[in-house]
Amino acid sequence: MSAGLVTQQQEGLLQGSEVRSVRKSALWQWAALGAIALGSCGHLLIKVGVTAAGHGGAAQSILSRIGHYFLQPAALGGLAIYASGTALWIYAVSQRNISFLYPLTALTYVIVALGGKFLLGELVPTGRWLGIAVVMFGVALLQSSAKGEAA
Amino acid sequence: MSALSALWASIILGSCAQIFLRRGVARGFTPGTGSYLLLLRSVWVWAWAVCFVFATGLWMIAISSMQVSYAFPLLSIGYLIVAVLSIVFLKERIAVSRWLAIAVITLGVSLIFRSA
Repeated sequence: MSAGLVTQQQEGLLQGSEVRSVRKSALWQWAALGAIALGSCGHLLIKVGVTAAGHGGAAQSILSRIGHYFLQPAALGGLAIYASGTALWIYAVSQRNISFLYPLTALTYVIVALGGKFLLGELVPTGRWLGIAVVMFGVALLQSSAKGEAA
Repeated sequence: MSALSALWASIILGSCAQIFLRRGVARGFTPGTGSYLLLLRSVWVWAWAVCFVFATGLWMIAISSMQVSYAFPLLSIGYLIVAVLSIVFLKERIAVSRWLAIAVITLGVSLIFRSA
């Protein structure tokens, strides 16, 4: 699976020595996948945390609600997991072009929706899956539009 | 504040945060401990941090009473908002192919939006 992430086109862009080092250590691939998995888990855990905290009543001010949510253990844990995913992501980005890595983040939409369905028992209608697929396609297109751009 | 208005506020604040961050780091930033500390001097970076924290807080308000499989993919409308803001405030140019991609994302978001 990890080898499959390096497309032929990508390999063609790499120097010979670089190809060897990629094959030797595919750490960046695991870092990228790990970042996506941790980011998705983080959001699901934040959801669990704020749902458990309740709505807090409409009378409460926005600020006190935000403060209340930031102190929920599950929400805090979710934020921490999300942050550790970001750290992995920074490592992956340091190893590979962002234009190659970025479309992978669209996987997050699917993982979060799957988590919502199977872990949190949300009903996900067909139209929503379709919409998620269209968004993912759009994110992939977005990145192909960035090819050849300097910054 | 309704969950949906919290979601929109979170998306708009989060998009503004990206513009502020770009403004703050655009000129000659090279990674390194010293340069990260220097970023603290930039008012734009502070604006990013404040917006980011509030966007996260509003996001939590939104999903406290919304399905996460609904709210999370709606965040991708931020691609459109950041594109528009980057033209207005950063004078970035956006190629036709990128507008096409953003249009596809927006279509996907509208499908998700209708699936409430």
